[in-house]
Amino acid sequence: MIQCLTFGMKGHCGCMGSVLAASSPTPPPAPGSGVVQGAPGLVSVPPGFSMPSVPPPSVPGQPAGETGSPLPNPGTYEECHRKCKEVFPIQMEGVRLVVNKGLSNHFQVSHTVTLSTLAESGYRFGATYVGTQQTGPAESFPVMVGDMDNTGSLNAQVIHQLTSAVRSKIAIQTQQHKFVNWQCDLEYRGDDFTSAVTLGNPDVLLGSGIIVAHYLQSISPALALGGELVYHRRPGEEGAVTSLMGRYTGNNYVATLTLGGAGAHATYYHRANDQLQLGVEFEGSMRTQETAVSFGYQLDLPKANLLFKGSVDSNWVVGAVLEKKLLPLPLSLALGAFLNQKKNTFQCGFNVTVG
Amino acid sequence: MSAAGKKAIAAPGYGVVEWISTACRLATDRNDFRRNILVNLGLFAAGVWVARNLSDLDLMSPQPII
Repeated sequence: MIQCLTFGMKGHCGCMGSVLAASSPTPPPAPGSGVVQGAPGLVSVPPGFSMPSVPPPSVPGQPAGETGSPLPNPGTYEECHRKCKEVFPIQMEGVRLVVNKGLSNHFQVSHTVTLSTLAESGYRFGATYVGTQQTGPAESFPVMVGDMDNTGSLNAQVIHQLTSAVRSKIAIQTQQHKFVNWQCDLEYRGDDFTSAVTLGNPDVLLGSGIIVAHYLQSISPALALGGELVYHRRPGEEGAVTSLMGRYTGNNYVATLTLGGAGAHATYYHRANDQLQLGVEFEGSMRTQETAVSFGYQLDLPKANLLFKGSVDSNWVVGAVLEKKLLPLPLSLALGAFLNQKKNTFQCGFNVTVG
Repeated sequence: MSAAGKKAIAAPGYGVVEWISTACRLATDRNDFRRNILVNLGLFAAGVWVARNLSDLDLMSPQPII
């Protein structure tokens, strides 16, 4: 539930300016990134992908043990599986028109019209504000993102860097006038570890709520280990679930494994070359007694302004999404189709993004 | 040869046949959780192998002239 709220903000976080909005209509970038100005050609690794640091050569005459290079910060717990997840296409249904308009360097609005047979059609207005406190070349704070649909349902997030190491986020989701989700999280980034605490739907009167604690520690430049603790409480019921995670980063691959009471989740991300990225995912749940494997790939052809994602999984679902930028117009088209061979169902969608 | 001896010789054979038939039943039972885990772990390993060995794709390379 908490992860769904974090990822519920589609296309808002970090998309300032026409360049970014046109280049990545889906999926949403990492939360917390304010002004994200991609610089094609400067970096050869996908955003968020960190290469293991190369230890400096030891000085002659000095024992090797004394020249240990500092371990890098391992990133956040949620980002561990994200590299592989981003390779897979997102299921699209119906027609969606998105118009993004940057009103200034700090403020952007968006209009989204959705026509769908499965979900409700409607209009959604979104606004993004990025503050002036610049903490990095591509990060500015505070970031305020909100959108409201024609029924009055609101999604809002405020992300702020409190200190150089502490970042906070507040997220609210309402369904018309009723608050459905509200959560607050605090993240601390140390030199070689990251810890975060999230408080979800706290209700002091009822005595209910959810607390999620994450910790991720760099063991070596390539290996990071961590854990998650989820404690939930409501009148008459309380419980806790723990899980452990390990992530190994190679030269051009990332392998992540999460084991817990809920089940197992393993992902493997591989960057074959500049054009091709592949992802394999395994999910198994002891509670529902179900397992699934998915294989996905992403073909990126910047010279052709084309991005193609395809996937196939063990439930006999085959899907693909084609994204094409129509330069020099600030226009981006996305076509998606998903076919479920077992259930004999077909779903397709068409998105147009302007600006 | 006594009937008990014949039965002892036949029992290992029946045990192997029974083991094979149990294994076949497990392999084809789509509702079995253990079987699904094994199959999907094998598919995951195969997917990782494909991902690690598929690196020579270049869609923008010039077409060969015949």
